[in-house]
Amino acid sequence: MDSTTACLDFAAIGHQDSWKNITRFVNGLRKPGQERLSDDTVKNIFAFLPPTEVFKVNVRSVTGATINGVYVETFIDPDKLDARFGRHNLAKVLEALNHVEKMGSKVATLGGFTSIVLEGNLDLLQQRRTSLTTGNTLTAAFIVKGVEEAAELVGIDLQAANLLIIGATGDIGSACATYFAGRVEKLLLCARKQLPLQELVLSLSKKQVSVHGSTNIAEFSRRADVIISVASSAGIRLPKLKSGVLICDAGYPKNLEQSLDDSLDGHLFHGGMGQVSGGFSFSPDYSSSIYEYPAPFTIHGCILEAMILAFEQRWENYSSGKGKITTEKMEEIYSLSLKHGITIAPFFDSAGCWAPLKKLYA
Amino acid sequence: METVAISPLAGEKLNVIADVFSQAITGELIGMSNFASLAETIDDPHEKMEAVEHANSERMHAEGFMAYAKKHGINININLAGEYWGNVRRQFLHYAKIKDFIACLIIQEVMLESFAVSMYTDVGNALGDEAGELFLSIADEEKEHLEHSSDLLRAALQEDPVGFVARFEEIHFNCMSILAKFTAATDLSGHCGVCNGDCMKGSLHHIDLDIATMRGNALALYARALDNIGIPGEKSIVWIAQLPA
Ligand SMILES: NC(=O)C1=CN([C@@H]2O[C@H](COP(=O)(O)OP(=O)(O)OC[C@H]3O[C@@H](n4cnc5c(N)ncnc54)[C@H](OP(=O)(O)O)[C@@H]3O)[C@@H](O)[C@H]2O)C=CC1
Ligand SMILES: [Fe+2]
Ligand SMILES: [Fe+2]
Repeated sequence: MDSTTACLDFAAIGHQDSWKNITRFVNGLRKPGQERLSDDTVKNIFAFLPPTEVFKVNVRSVTGATINGVYVETFIDPDKLDARFGRHNLAKVLEALNHVEKMGSKVATLGGFTSIVLEGNLDLLQQRRTSLTTGNTLTAAFIVKGVEEAAELVGIDLQAANLLIIGATGDIGSACATYFAGRVEKLLLCARKQLPLQELVLSLSKKQVSVHGSTNIAEFSRRADVIISVASSAGIRLPKLKSGVLICDAGYPKNLEQSLDDSLDGHLFHGGMGQVSGGFSFSPDYSSSIYEYPAPFTIHGCILEAMILAFEQRWENYSSGKGKITTEKMEEIYSLSLKHGITIAPFFDSAGCWAPLKKLYA
Repeated sequence: METVAISPLAGEKLNVIADVFSQAITGELIGMSNFASLAETIDDPHEKMEAVEHANSERMHAEGFMAYAKKHGINININLAGEYWGNVRRQFLHYAKIKDFIACLIIQEVMLESFAVSMYTDVGNALGDEAGELFLSIADEEKEHLEHSSDLLRAALQEDPVGFVARFEEIHFNCMSILAKFTAATDLSGHCGVCNGDCMKGSLHHIDLDIATMRGNALALYARALDNIGIPGEKSIVWIAQLPA
């Protein structure tokens, strides 16, 4: 890759949520007049391809600094994200890691599902020339700061609110739970596995906060004023909701949005997203087919974490392992992000930006 | 009492194997002819001799497959002028005629060898037994051809990155489009002229294979070969997306 990548500060390794997304992207690459391909045809080719760098990114900080990065698509099959395909997916992630290392990237984020490598296979990370991060610390920071900002916007007093966290025992979920312990009236924590949930509830209750755990979401959803969903499953059903509830749907594929009916009497936004006020440019520019959001220069918190580490030239494995994110580290990476003009993205859902913001980005 | 059914597939399986051998032998003979033509494009006597040696190695591969087929009574059909093989050969000759050594190398050693190595490996693993071993051992030798060319092409790219990538792109669309049509789920340009009767693609399940997987694996190996040469991923992804599918 020597001919094209003079200096590579960061890489983002990722995967898509659905074949629909990949097909849209692939059809966008085809020449005008060429037949549009179906999801199945695209799958029959692209599910086999090795991880590949798809576009380069140049990012600008408000300090005047610029950095160069690359997005590497793993082509992990979005329909095969579960444990049964673990070995195959792990092989793809490792191939992607070798690839970014060969390209000379100084730091890389393992976005979404690819972070499995950083959570469970730490021995595979020894002696890498590229520092690696899950990006979960900044994602968690953007989620909690986003919830605080959105709550203020919609008039919810967090001090008096019941906060439900779905996926509470996960890396991001537990970071959010720790952050909000003592900042809300009651913490309601949900996950499917009982034991880790009990352990989390126990450790938080030692801090004299009101915290409850349940594997049954229905038990909590009707009592929640605010919901953060950072589970690794889509289509989670919330049987009853309070009127005016604030929902931060931050998991991928989207955990809640598709299973909520249109009658949601409340506010939902896609959490964990940031906005780069200095701007960035893609080459080639696929912003209309692969990275399309209602507000300009919007990007995932996990990818932004690698960018901030690159701006700061901190070549370290910033977020790795599971359950190790502290509130101090969240505050640290968040203030570094503000230093470079990277803030919480304007609130949006699948239909677009929240109403008062609509005019701004129309 | 246990009943033993006589498998009606034996005949069908044999037909697929015959088609697989026919394709492999035809491909080897195309490779042999290509290397012989390549020798024409080279002025350096040592390199000329090397090209002839390569042609001979492809001849020996063809002989190996033929010998196996003869020993096991497999009917083979060789056709160097069929729709796809014939077109690939014409593309190659076009570049050989203008003494474009690099283009010839790209077609024979990167494109055709990627497909050969990948498909022989899939067939070898699926067949197991003696036939499988034959495919796997030839795949190993073809791998060396692929690697040998990558070194030369990497050097050519370094000399003129922009010109090289542009030239590669042209050859990709001229030649890979043919291979892409050939290996699509249905023959996109009609019958190949090699398979007996209907195309074998619909019958590959008799030997536990399917064309989508074989094609996917072959394109993946091609993508890795491009990367190994130094073609930027953002180019190769577009090139692959724009192939007939
Ligand atoms: N917005 C962004 O930029 C980013 C978003 N993410 C997304 O955040 C999510 C969480 O990531 P991470 O913390 O690393 O993942 P983890 O695997 O560490 O945690 C997942 C959590 O979800 C729980 N869970 C899974 N399914 C369900 C379910 N059906 N009901 C209730 N709980 C469930 C798990 O517990 P249990 O198994 O016991 O149910 C666990 O607590 C992922 O979807 C990821 O894609 C990640 C990085 C960046
Ligand atoms: Fe050969
Ligand atoms: Fe060969």
